[in-house]
Amino acid sequence: MIRIMEEQVQRLPAEQLFQKEIDALIKAEKDPVPTGWRMSPRSVRTYICGGKAGKTVITPKYIGHERLVEIAISTLVADRALLLIGEPGTAKSWLSEHLTAAINGDSTKVIQGTAGTTEEQLRYSWNYAMLIANGPSKEALIKSSVFRAMETGTIARVEEISRCASEVQDALISLLSEKRLSVPELGIEVPAKKGFSVIATANTRDKGVNEMSAALKRRFNIVVLPAPADLDSEMEIVKTRVEQLSANLDLNAALPAEDVTKKVCTIFRELRNGETLDKSQKIKGTTGVLSTAEAISLLCNSMALAGSFGNGTISDNDLAAGLTGVVIKDEDKDSIAWKEYLEHVMKKRGLHWLGLYKACRDLL
Amino acid sequence: MEERPHIFGIRHLSPAGAYYLRQFLEEKKPKLVLIEGPNDFNDQIENLTRPETRPPIAILAYTNEAPVRTILYPFAEYSPEYQAVVWCREHEIPCRFMDLPSDVFLALPERSGKNEEEKKTVYDLLDEKAGEDGQETFWERSMEQAADRESYCQGTAMFGGNIREMSAEQEADWPENLIREAFMLREVENAVKSGIAPSEIVLVTGAYHAAGLSNPAAEPMTEEEFAGLPKIAAKHTLMPYSYYRLSSRSGYGAGNKAPAYYTLLWEALNSGDFSHAARSYLSRIAGYQRKNGTPVSSAEVIEAVRLADALARLRGSRFPALRDLRDAAVTCLGGGNFAAVSLAVADTEIGTAIGELPEGVSRTSIQDDFYRQLKECRLEKYRDLAAQELSLDLRENRRVKTKKAAFLDLSRSFFLHRLRVLSVPFGKWEKGKQDNATWAEHWIVQWTPEAEITLVEAALKGDTVELAASFSLKERIESANVLSETALVIEDAFTCGMASAVSYALKALQAMTIDNVSVPELAAVVDRLSAVVQYGDIRQLNPEPLVPILEQMFYRACLVLPGACVCNDAASKEIIVSIGRLNAAVLSHDFLEEETWMEILKEIAERDDLNTKLSGFAAAVLLERGSLDDESLRLEVQRRLSRGIPADLGAGWFEGLAMKNRYALIARLSLWEDLDRYLETLDEEEFKRALVFLRRAFADFSALEKDEIAENLGEIWGFNGQQVSEAVNGALKENERQMVESLDDFDFDL
Repeated sequence: MIRIMEEQVQRLPAEQLFQKEIDALIKAEKDPVPTGWRMSPRSVRTYICGGKAGKTVITPKYIGHERLVEIAISTLVADRALLLIGEPGTAKSWLSEHLTAAINGDSTKVIQGTAGTTEEQLRYSWNYAMLIANGPSKEALIKSSVFRAMETGTIARVEEISRCASEVQDALISLLSEKRLSVPELGIEVPAKKGFSVIATANTRDKGVNEMSAALKRRFNIVVLPAPADLDSEMEIVKTRVEQLSANLDLNAALPAEDVTKKVCTIFRELRNGETLDKSQKIKGTTGVLSTAEAISLLCNSMALAGSFGNGTISDNDLAAGLTGVVIKDEDKDSIAWKEYLEHVMKKRGLHWLGLYKACRDLL
Repeated sequence: MEERPHIFGIRHLSPAGAYYLRQFLEEKKPKLVLIEGPNDFNDQIENLTRPETRPPIAILAYTNEAPVRTILYPFAEYSPEYQAVVWCREHEIPCRFMDLPSDVFLALPERSGKNEEEKKTVYDLLDEKAGEDGQETFWERSMEQAADRESYCQGTAMFGGNIREMSAEQEADWPENLIREAFMLREVENAVKSGIAPSEIVLVTGAYHAAGLSNPAAEPMTEEEFAGLPKIAAKHTLMPYSYYRLSSRSGYGAGNKAPAYYTLLWEALNSGDFSHAARSYLSRIAGYQRKNGTPVSSAEVIEAVRLADALARLRGSRFPALRDLRDAAVTCLGGGNFAAVSLAVADTEIGTAIGELPEGVSRTSIQDDFYRQLKECRLEKYRDLAAQELSLDLRENRRVKTKKAAFLDLSRSFFLHRLRVLSVPFGKWEKGKQDNATWAEHWIVQWTPEAEITLVEAALKGDTVELAASFSLKERIESANVLSETALVIEDAFTCGMASAVSYALKALQAMTIDNVSVPELAAVVDRLSAVVQYGDIRQLNPEPLVPILEQMFYRACLVLPGACVCNDAASKEIIVSIGRLNAAVLSHDFLEEETWMEILKEIAERDDLNTKLSGFAAAVLLERGSLDDESLRLEVQRRLSRGIPADLGAGWFEGLAMKNRYALIARLSLWEDLDRYLETLDEEEFKRALVFLRRAFADFSALEKDEIAENLGEIWGFNGQQVSEAVNGALKENERQMVESLDDFDFDL
């Protein structure tokens, strides 16, 4: 694992960011720790869902569905692979990163799935100069993250597995059922050490994803991460994440007021669900997903705007600029939906919303 | 009382409780077992253990007079109370119920609604305290999975103590519970007086009361105190019960959300391997999925078992609780999606078991009445688990001697309809098969245990099938707030042959305001009442009292109809149905003023400010009734289909006109000439508009009708009818299809 100087890095891995909490949890450990893990399943739950370790307060990392976290942890305890499925922005990668950070203290054994991911990236490849010079040898072998995880008995992450081509996805099938990786060129087989597992994440709604085969799905325990259940929990998530993010970014702006967060979450939820929060009015939906993650980045953007060009607090204009950009993904359809929303819903909400309405209206 | 008997506190409907209670009884070898339950049911204890009895069954007591109050204690095989009775039977040891007799219990002051809510909060509070797991799961982990009898008893003591503590602060239940406990102690005292030592008595009671009964300060009720308690006339019975009913009743004691799963626990306990329950739960889910076409491999079931174990360990319990098992099933067998396994979960957790009692044990007066009528109507052979068809001829059978025999089918119909009104699933009315013969009725008759259960429940409504049916009709009248609901009750009362209910509903109907009632609603009422008046005599009922109200409704509908014709196309569909209904009513009854109706129709047909489709339809009705001569029709067609009138209005009118008596229209060549001439006058844009409506108008014409229209057009254009017919009925060519599809984008808002 490579330690990087904190100041230079845009975003630290979870285990470095929350090192104090992890250390406190390990110190306060009371329950049995499974082989290959750094803390007990219960401590992992505390790390993710929040609580206390001795005197240290553990901040919640994933809010709302504690039971799903328990299912995820129990899956990994049983050495079973875990597949997190959900719409974009439902904290799949976030959860997978924190699970590995807590369990192994290392969230960096990761394969970032793309349409161009090859089977070698999942298994192993070669240092071709050495391969040509000396023939196959252990030194010439370049191990993939999964390979290294098997050797060390830790957890590998495969991000966006559904973006990989189906053939490539299927390379995981035998790895997961046999729990060993063979290197025929060297005539060796690497057995997975106890503690090895895989956490994969997959998108359900994005364009450009490949269906996963039933055989592969059977090798995973599947946990579906839902969008936040209600306005309050979504606001809670947005608030917590914006706080954490902005602390890293030096934005020179005050955190968004409760009221601003509420407005953003309301707009997002209404457009996402196609009806107003009180269910009294149907709304034309947008082509984009408008996930909680987008709400978070929207607020951070607005803070950046306010900090760099404004007076340091988010104004309606800052918010409107961000909103228009996030909502209108497909020029034709979305701008009609957005206009309708502004006129039929936002305008009628009264004085409180008038400023934002005008600012959005001006940008159209 | 100095010496106290042994008390075994239980949680109702608890397999572990039943299991450990049997152990406890084996160990203590009591001479008498006293069980929590109304003591006037003592004569039924024998029936509980007869070989034909199969739980789930329930004890039901109810007051004679309205408002009906009830006590219901369901017993499943795994109920500790039931197992106590079974154990006593096996060891030939007397056992008795020791709670207040039901007539006293039911007379205790009713908890007001507010207190009901408070009572709920006790469990809500428990839910909150139990955290995300909820109290059900919490008690399952701490009691059902108890390692031994001692920890079970600790669990129940904690459970009873907690509830007692929480509810003691609220006054509502408190006096009632003290009275019940004092009575239970009195029963104990009586037993001791009869010569059984307290140490030879075991009390089986809910954990809540266990805490109260063992309190040394508690004193038994004296004879005077008991005599002073109020009483209310009440009846009681045993009844078969079902797992489905058990699961749909919420609340502690009265129900159990997952009876089939609890049966698995009971079986696992008796097999000596508790972990067996988890495995059989998951295997059953897998089995159900396979049976219904979803392949599930054993490997997946094994993974699910492992996941459930891991979840249980995370929560610190020895075995997976229901919640862990269900989550494991969703994750491993349902791909993370609850909907994929929801049916399997319902089948495995709730199940379809239905209890049975020996013939004649469950006999409320309504059941007696039911069996008597079954015999009288000679329907006994239909009391069978196989479905049978039954066709009835409601007319008088003149070939038989007695009056009763002459109207046998009619009384059968009344009987079946009354059961239908009570929702007793015995006869299923095949309304669609009526074949327009008003004297014929078709039923599918099938006896199910479910029918017996609903019948017993109907006992709360009245002592005979007729009384209960009339009670439930009255209830419906009182809660009805739309005219058509009340009219439906009238129709039901009529089919049930219940004259008094008809007149009661009639009064209710008259009392309802008709000021703001919509036309479709009125027409629906007219339609129902009209049917009743028309066919009333076949059911030996005098429809005369309905006539004035039918007249009133009809007149009212006529008055508001023209106004209602100002509407959009979506609403016009309902109005068209209404006009059809009103027209049918006029045709069947002389007492409805035909003149008024024709005037209304003429008004609608002639006015230009109404929905043109409705005007067209009114014209069609007039034409059908011969009140529109050729000349006026021709003039009207020319007027409606003329240049200057927006094309969609003209074509909409024609659509309305073409909805009826098509042959009459087709036969009038002049009409098609007019239509042709009209289309000629339109420019391209207008033609497109008109085309959309005309296409819709002709859409449901049959091929034969289209042929005839084609012939007409051929004549007008001077073509051979055959050629035109081919062109009209043939499939669209590609370029034609494109043209037609382009119409779909046609924007009518412009």
